[in-house]
Amino acid sequence: MEVEIAYRPAHAMARVVLERDESIVAESGAMVGMSTNVQMQTQSGGLMKGLKRMFGGESFFRNTFTASGGAGEVLLAHSLCGDMVAMEMTPTGYFVQSSAYIASTPNVNLDTKVGGFKTFFAGEGVFVLKATAAAAGKLVVGAFGGIQELSCDGNLVIDTGHLVAWDANLEYTVGKSGSGWIASFLSGEGLVCHFHGQGRIWIQTRNPAEYGTTVGRMLPPKKR
Amino acid sequence: MQPQAHIEPSTAPTPTGLGTPHEITHGPSFAMLRVDLQPGVTVVAEAGAMVARSEQVSMEVKMNASPSASFFAKLKAFFIALIRKLIGGETFFVNHFQSSQPGSVWLAPTMAGQIAYRRLHGEKLTLSTGAYLAHVGALEMKMKFGGLKSLLAKEGAFFLELGGEGDLWFNSYGGVHAIDVDGSYLVDNGHLVGFEGNLTFTIKGAGGGLMGLVASGEGMVCEFTGQGRVYIQSRNLGSLVGWLTPLLPG
Repeated sequence: MEVEIAYRPAHAMARVVLERDESIVAESGAMVGMSTNVQMQTQSGGLMKGLKRMFGGESFFRNTFTASGGAGEVLLAHSLCGDMVAMEMTPTGYFVQSSAYIASTPNVNLDTKVGGFKTFFAGEGVFVLKATAAAAGKLVVGAFGGIQELSCDGNLVIDTGHLVAWDANLEYTVGKSGSGWIASFLSGEGLVCHFHGQGRIWIQTRNPAEYGTTVGRMLPPKKR
Repeated sequence: MQPQAHIEPSTAPTPTGLGTPHEITHGPSFAMLRVDLQPGVTVVAEAGAMVARSEQVSMEVKMNASPSASFFAKLKAFFIALIRKLIGGETFFVNHFQSSQPGSVWLAPTMAGQIAYRRLHGEKLTLSTGAYLAHVGALEMKMKFGGLKSLLAKEGAFFLELGGEGDLWFNSYGGVHAIDVDGSYLVDNGHLVGFEGNLTFTIKGAGGGLMGLVASGEGMVCEFTGQGRVYIQSRNLGSLVGWLTPLLPG
């Protein structure tokens, strides 16, 4: 399977080239186009798994695209303007901010994790996915804005609204940004993620919730 | 004589002198700024702009007023900030980042767009509301009211006047475009990022009297006269809101 990403960074689109009988699993609504010999199957992976996902801000269903009778391709895109990255699965796996997930090879196991009580107030990162695979595989994530890979060597503090994904071996705790809750609120930074250890962290250069709030408060109120 | 506006193809102003080590990436659509801190250096940034920071970098929230300002100047700044918050939605708190060991802080604005860098050596630079991102050094900041007429325009009722010595980063919605004005030049209020040099401006309708103001779709414009550089942005927040509004479900 080949994954190439075009139209980076503002309007990235992934082109997944499938060999005969190869499949890719994608978030519902991510498909832009595909070859006619590619079959789409919609699965929830079980009612509870689907509900858990839905609760986590993702869709209830995921789609599996399989090339039948020959090679084929699927084009996938994110709903927001921004970059996409295709990551190779590693033995440690990744944590992915749930709305950043776009697609993965079928062997990638995705488990929705509740990030803890505190993260409930963060708006973002309430739910994270843990992506693990026993063998080689691919994971495609999308961001709002550009994607920057940061290497964490010791400690790093990241705004929860800017998180995309990180190596699963990194320890993380979600907490306030400033010294106190009032200072944290006034600082406009909300909640941050404190990372410890050695690993890579992918961040997005824009915060979707912040953008939505800024534009949203300039819009007229909804008529009831 | 037509205005002699030289259009610069560059998106960012030329830095002069050695400033604070930094890097602007992901421009022009989604620019992000990384500032490398040394002990004793303080980065001041607009509240909410932090993306990430090294753990050893401390963050402290403060009210946006010059350190040398008197009590009354601070009080005035507070009231102007409060009015700005009410009408313009801009935050009036800033965050101070400091570190006892070398470290970095990453900053990004809210809207899609570019970040421009300018090192000031005593000259004055004026920014429109929301264009300020961060600074390092002894920059004096003063809030200026654009006059009663400016209240008619949704943007540009308040300006931030910066002076002194230091590094300044400002942001735009869309790309930043520099125009060197010698004579006069008109800029749509919603597209104005800032200006510097020997320029004065008046806010007025784009032309065509009252009809022009209401029907041209251009709203208010700033007419600049003199010599200096005007920074404009290639997109306008008011237009985005105007486009989105009728598309919303009722």
